[in-house]
Amino acid sequence: MVASFDTHLFWEALTSDPYWKGALLALGLATVSLATAVVIGFLLALGRGSRLRTVRGLVFFYNWLFRATPTLLQLIFVWYALPQVWPVFAGNWFTPFEAAFVTLSLNEAAYMSEIIRAGLLSVDPGQELAGRALGMTRRQILRRVIVPQAIRIVIPPTGNEFITLLKLTSLASVISLHELLTASQELAAVGFRYPESYLAALVYYLGIVSVLMVLQDRLERRYTWSSARRRRVAAPAVPVVAHDAR
Amino acid sequence: MTEAILRADSLHKRYGELEVLRGVTFEVGRGEVKVIIGPSGSGKSTLLRCLALLEEPDAGDVMLGGARPGRAEVGMVFQRFNLFQNMTALANVMVGLTDVRRLSKREAREQALELLERVGLKDKTEQYPEELSGGQQQRVAIARALVMKPKVMLFDEPTSALDVELVREVLDVMEGLARDGMTMVVVSHELRFAHHVASSILMMDQGVIVEEAPPGQFFSAPAHERTRRFLALVE
Repeated sequence: MVASFDTHLFWEALTSDPYWKGALLALGLATVSLATAVVIGFLLALGRGSRLRTVRGLVFFYNWLFRATPTLLQLIFVWYALPQVWPVFAGNWFTPFEAAFVTLSLNEAAYMSEIIRAGLLSVDPGQELAGRALGMTRRQILRRVIVPQAIRIVIPPTGNEFITLLKLTSLASVISLHELLTASQELAAVGFRYPESYLAALVYYLGIVSVLMVLQDRLERRYTWSSARRRRVAAPAVPVVAHDAR
Repeated sequence: MTEAILRADSLHKRYGELEVLRGVTFEVGRGEVKVIIGPSGSGKSTLLRCLALLEEPDAGDVMLGGARPGRAEVGMVFQRFNLFQNMTALANVMVGLTDVRRLSKREAREQALELLERVGLKDKTEQYPEELSGGQQQRVAIARALVMKPKVMLFDEPTSALDVELVREVLDVMEGLARDGMTMVVVSHELRFAHHVASSILMMDQGVIVEEAPPGQFFSAPAHERTRRFLALVE
């Protein structure tokens, strides 16, 4: 049936250095970008609830800017345009990896801020009231009560975001970052062996995402506060985040 | 009568157009138990929240022993318990001691265990709120407030979210507290409890205190038509 599939070549691609390194790079880039996006997104989420109009306005502007423009365009802008208008970025330190990291984390922060905000709002207001009645400060209540409970809500959509982000790292192939897609394109270009080259990349993405799904399940159990922790975790009621082509 | 420990002086509170408190003045003496009754929307809960400093009144003062109440000096028990869902019963009772009172974990643990034993939950310390019955949750909530050694305890309809068979265990704890001399303000429609335990009963309606009287007089000869009508409805 599959007349021209060379299993040996496929296997060779799968175990080759560029693929390994490309996969690690994609995973690393997605991880640091998500971590940064969570921090920025958390601050943005707090900003959305600020009493100051200006702060709320700035957050709105940020989210609007990064969600209304294509990620690929943002990436190209950061890599090619930014160094021309802002000489700091013209230095040698600014490699494709940094450009991709800056773009993806700023972009992802806009999405994470909405998810985190929904998570914070989903915590029963009675929890904060009880904290205040005990004399806890706003910061203590946030750290000890609200954030841990919001994390439970935020994990599943964040898992989705991580997967999206992992796939978005392939965009960085256009700014010549040697991630997975670049590796497979280069191999494909050498012998025109498209099925073997691209299938190997697909297998990597599938493998990484599968491992992530297991990790997410563990994390969800960690943030479930009942004996149900030891059983299967029921899916919480979370607003489904629509998945858009970024 | 003993000296007043908690005093509310002409409290006013409005939410937009709605005037919830329209000049509430009353005081509680040390060791007294005051039960507040009244129709929903009469301002009972808002009054308690002002006393617990959870709401800032638009006008008027709350004084505790001659000063503004300090952190957790007024303990509050909520209708829906509001236990921290991410903490065990023990951790719920400890957190105020470690985070607000700055006690060591060991000391906090000791005191928290003592309080949980007092409300009869020594064997439930490691359970999460989700795993406890409503009555047990409310008793943990009482222990959580008590462990801070408040001068006054406020109860906002502490049994109205409970199944009937669980009401008793919570009222028992509250009666025990009253016997031990705790100063209490209780919003509740448990009239039998009010009858047995209250020093006096206050009737609230439309943001003011309509009537205050000792239980005997309050139930047998209410002075106001509004109180009579309300009692007829509840009983």
